[in-house]
Amino acid sequence: MRNVAPTKTNLLTLKHELKFAQLGYELLDQKRNILIIELLNLVDQAVDFQDRVDKSLFQAFRSFEEATLAMGKRKVVNLSSAVNIDTEIIIKHRKIMGVALPVVDTNFVDYSPFYSPLGTSFWIDSSVTGFKQALELMGKLAELKISIMRLAQEVRKTIRKVNALEKMAIPQLSETVDYIKNRLEENERDMFVLMKMVKDRLEKKKKGET
Amino acid sequence: MKYYSIGDEDTVLGFGMVGVEGMIVNGEEEARNAFQTALKDKDVGIIIITERMAELIRDQVDQYIFTEKFPLILEIPDRIGRIEGKPGLREMVNTAIGVKL
Repeated sequence: MRNVAPTKTNLLTLKHELKFAQLGYELLDQKRNILIIELLNLVDQAVDFQDRVDKSLFQAFRSFEEATLAMGKRKVVNLSSAVNIDTEIIIKHRKIMGVALPVVDTNFVDYSPFYSPLGTSFWIDSSVTGFKQALELMGKLAELKISIMRLAQEVRKTIRKVNALEKMAIPQLSETVDYIKNRLEENERDMFVLMKMVKDRLEKKKKGET
Repeated sequence: MKYYSIGDEDTVLGFGMVGVEGMIVNGEEEARNAFQTALKDKDVGIIIITERMAELIRDQVDQYIFTEKFPLILEIPDRIGRIEGKPGLREMVNTAIGVKL
């Protein structure tokens, strides 16, 4: 309970504050729910994407290994500079309840490779496709993962605020408001009794005179 | 914007084949340097780093993920696979918000 003088002005301001705190609590509660729903949504997607990325990466690494086995590492390194693919990513932002989340778009500009298919292992092509696929998925995965981390942080903050309001601020305020109300009512009753007594006395005096 | 990869030889070479620049690192010192180089380049949008390398410079990576907007950092498994026993995404979220999903 707060230490304030039990006056009508204080009662009014405190009542106002309590209303404000309750409104804030409701809003934050809603925000928390929305964020958690969004988070759940993203987690499912992210787990799915992670599996796919892992799979295609595994495939790509296997092909790459086969290629190095078949042709030797040096040759593969030389060949890799002959593959002509440009990757371009565009990162935008979207906002959910004031949290900025990235949105990633991956674009490939795919020129035909400079190496001749003659004398190069099939595994080279296979690993190029594998890595390309992985890269495409990874853009999306990065977007999801970072979004999840930021959302989780925001959720944590919001939960703390909600709890602070629910468990501390609102009970304290309402307790103070009740206390002031009681004191004011008590005063009123005091005054009422006092007035009655004064009236009685005045009437007795009148009777004595007449 | 573009990708940038940090990792062992196979990873960087593999992504090099699809036009992603990268730096081959073996060890903590090199990983730290590569990470700083990647951060300095303003054109880098997403840093791809292998889990094993990220583990070596975990403090830097984590600090960056949570405080900075750019670039995005993505940890991937390397040739050998993911590190066993590391908490997955779901567990991470659970511990973060203390709600069972």
